[in-house]
Amino acid sequence: MNHNNNFQQSSDGRHDDDAALTEFLSSLMGYTPTIPDELVEHYLAKSGFQCPDVRLNCCLCFCRIRLVAVATQKFVAEVATDALQQCKARQAAVVKDKRDKQQKDKRLILTMEDLSKALREYGVNVKHQEYFADNPSTGMDPASKEE
Amino acid sequence: MSDGGGESGSKHQQPHTKRKFSGDDFSQAIAKVAVAQICERVGFQTFQQSALGKLADIAVRYINSVGKAANFYANLSGRAEGNVFDIFQGLEDLGLDQGFSGASDINHCLASSGIVRELSQYANEATDVPFAYAIPHFPVVKDRKPKSSFLQIGEEPPIEDIPAWLPAFPDPQTYFESPSQNERASDSYTEKIELGKQQRKMEMSMVNLQRQFSESGPSSFVHGDSSKEKKTVESNPFLSAPLHFEEKEVSSVVLPAKLSKEVALQNPVAKKHVVDNHISVMETFAPALEAMKNRFCESREEQKNIQLDQRPPVQFKIGVGKKSLVKPLKSSPQNMDGGKIDPWFCKENENDERKGDLKIF
Repeated sequence: MNHNNNFQQSSDGRHDDDAALTEFLSSLMGYTPTIPDELVEHYLAKSGFQCPDVRLNCCLCFCRIRLVAVATQKFVAEVATDALQQCKARQAAVVKDKRDKQQKDKRLILTMEDLSKALREYGVNVKHQEYFADNPSTGMDPASKEE
Repeated sequence: MSDGGGESGSKHQQPHTKRKFSGDDFSQAIAKVAVAQICERVGFQTFQQSALGKLADIAVRYINSVGKAANFYANLSGRAEGNVFDIFQGLEDLGLDQGFSGASDINHCLASSGIVRELSQYANEATDVPFAYAIPHFPVVKDRKPKSSFLQIGEEPPIEDIPAWLPAFPDPQTYFESPSQNERASDSYTEKIELGKQQRKMEMSMVNLQRQFSESGPSSFVHGDSSKEKKTVESNPFLSAPLHFEEKEVSSVVLPAKLSKEVALQNPVAKKHVVDNHISVMETFAPALEAMKNRFCESREEQKNIQLDQRPPVQFKIGVGKKSLVKPLKSSPQNMDGGKIDPWFCKENENDERKGDLKIF
């Protein structure tokens, strides 16, 4: 009986979800993602995701491509936001020290440093190999490094 | 691509030497532009090139991963074509690192997954920033012209068993060895030998001529019309015997009909003046020689025989009374040399060309 109740609830919920989903998908058609459709289509085709010809103005296919484009845009925006926060934190730290002197250049630059820190949370390791002379502990065993 | 985290804001662009473009460069470039636009919306003002490239690369990989996962789920469900729900599942897989609401619920409906909600939230909040450029549909597939069949050409297949609807055979010229190449090799060799022989003969005849002139005077003017050996224009100027003053040598050349009349007319005149006044001889010969010069220039590329028949362009530097200047006038071999320098050199060039041909294959 609980199961039946649950089932009923879930079926109602499903309708809502479906409605939300259809609403979302229809809104997608109005939203133009920054990442162009051709690029997404090209890489989806490369990875094996078969899609009927977009040129036939197939609404469904358009939906899928737009969906992936929006998802990718969201992902990139999140990474960029994290990198931006890193950049601002670094600038704030510097400014604190030299508050008397000129403020540091306010330009926000996307650097590899910030990017690598931001991407580490997403599981992407883009750390570059250190130059041998940069750090006295470069090239030593990790165990001795920690010491 | 990691230029290192050390640089800060350096936008130093190294001059691009000729780099080869791979097939993926276009899409990579587009991805860079798109990612740069997104970052600009987020708040960045400038980018490090390496950082931008890296982020674009990661975005591309993200798209690839989504496609791969979605395809996997579609195949898992027994479908060849992916649909929206496959994409949702793919996104869920990729989003598990970050986490989304409802991730732990394995039985949840896809439509209500946290991913969808977050996406719809993002789509509603984010403002439209369309891509900066209009992109054509790519990759562009080249239209391949199918090879025409026997029927289309109208040929009959050479062998009975070959059906006519198959593509026709290529032209035999494309796969037969062209004999000209081999012949050219042997030809040049034989030609060189012949040339050497002719040169030697020419020198001999020149020596004979000198002797004859010295003996019998200018009466034997046109000597050896029939002798084909004298057709060789080139004689080594350094090997011919030195000529004395008042000795005029005229090479015996078979002139073409048109010019030979003129020369024949002028020749008797020239004979008189030969000994006395070299300049007048040259003057009389000048128009004919000019005409021959023109003809020679035209027919320079023609066969050797034709070249040899014609008189080479004689280039005079007429000086009055001065021995040093007159010498080149008198000594006709040297005259001819002066004139022959052109053909001599151009002959050399031709030989070089032939040598070059040899070297090619």
